[in-house]
Amino acid sequence: MQAWIEKIGKMFEMAFLTEDRWKLYLNGLGVTLKVALFAAILGLAIGTVVALMKLSTNRKGNKTIWARIANAYIDIIRGTPSVLQLLIMWFIIMKSCKNGVLVAVLSFGINSGAYVAEIVRAGILAVDKGQTEAGRSLGLSKAQTMIYIIIPQAIKNVLPPIGNEFIVLLKETAIVGYVSLSDLTRVANQVSSRTYEAFMPLIGAAVIYFVIIKILTILLDKLERRLRKSDNR
Amino acid sequence: MIIVKDLHKKFEDNHVLKGVNYHVHQGEKIVVVGPSGSGKSTFLRCLNLLETPTSGEIWFDGQKINDPKVNIDKVREHMGMVFQNFNLFNNLSIMDNITLAPVKLKLMSKEEAKEKALALLTRVGLKDKADSYPSQLSGGQKQRIAIVRSLAMNPRVMLFDEPTSALDPEMVGEVLDVMKELAKSGMTMVVVTHEMGFAREVGTKVLFMDEGIIMEENTPSEFFNHPQCQRLQDFLSKVL
Repeated sequence: MQAWIEKIGKMFEMAFLTEDRWKLYLNGLGVTLKVALFAAILGLAIGTVVALMKLSTNRKGNKTIWARIANAYIDIIRGTPSVLQLLIMWFIIMKSCKNGVLVAVLSFGINSGAYVAEIVRAGILAVDKGQTEAGRSLGLSKAQTMIYIIIPQAIKNVLPPIGNEFIVLLKETAIVGYVSLSDLTRVANQVSSRTYEAFMPLIGAAVIYFVIIKILTILLDKLERRLRKSDNR
Repeated sequence: MIIVKDLHKKFEDNHVLKGVNYHVHQGEKIVVVGPSGSGKSTFLRCLNLLETPTSGEIWFDGQKINDPKVNIDKVREHMGMVFQNFNLFNNLSIMDNITLAPVKLKLMSKEEAKEKALALLTRVGLKDKADSYPSQLSGGQKQRIAIVRSLAMNPRVMLFDEPTSALDPEMVGEVLDVMKELAKSGMTMVVVTHEMGFAREVGTKVLFMDEGIIMEENTPSEFFNHPQCQRLQDFLSKVL
């Protein structure tokens, strides 16, 4: 027993303390969070715009050219692996850009936007049609009805799936090692190959992801409950 | 005031309106009755273009409003509409429900709109509900608020689409009372309803719609006491 505890302690020391390695994890976590946060913001912005594009109709109620563009975007993004999108962004589209974080944020933001677009679209469609009709019958324009009546109600609908999308996104950033960014996953991998001991670095990184996501979940739950309180439908 | 000429509406293969012609004059209270599926709601919804007519013309105050060049939002400012399912804005307080349109459309300042809303709420006996949310109200209260919301725009005509059909029986009266009072004040109204008592008491004309056309039109007393066509006689024998 004694020997076993000693061995675990040694492994811990090697994985986190020797040469101040904990700083590597911290920096890695910083990269992970930075990429995830800005990609989430970008994805939310793109997704909202694309959802509205996809829902746009002309006077006769037919799809507009904007709706077709939105459809094509969603099809392409959902139809290709995100690792490939990241590599294409890094090696082809932004070949001359040496800022890996920027490339990762753009790539993940554009990727997440497609999924967010479908979430937002569903959230808007879930608002009762009568709400739109009432707004329009009072003389409000399509845009005014959307802004003052539909979107505030849609936000409540989309919060749970959007939270889910953020969590997926945060974990998805574990592939940024492909463009030589030292995120949490890559750091753990590097340490384990340095010390020939995989257990502590990998389990340690997993625990850190888990804790971050648990905190995120609790915050989202709180926000959701607060929004629900304002309408007891 | 509203002139409808040869109005047709098709939903894909379903030919709902098959040539409706009618002329609503200022101050009239037109009550539209008929079996379900007869096209009466579609007819009403065509009047403010919530449904786009397949063919035909709708004129409002001398303007052909189903013309693509017409700004329909401007036209709708003058046509109030009350729905079967109330359709109060769930995300807004009662006060904001009422003042949103007049303020955002820059017809009134926020203060004027609030004052107007309070006056109207007092008129329907719901002044104390100004800060409530729709989910906290009964069906009858919601529908009275919906009427107030439309009136706050100072409409020239009010359209009612089965305003009491979704209400519990004991709440029908309070909504009809508001509508009767509104009728007395001289408002031009077009009402689709199953309330025959209301039609008889308030209507200046009663229309019977069936199979996508207006089958019979008459004053209430003639309409109910001496129905002409067979379909109307059958209908009245079932509902009265």
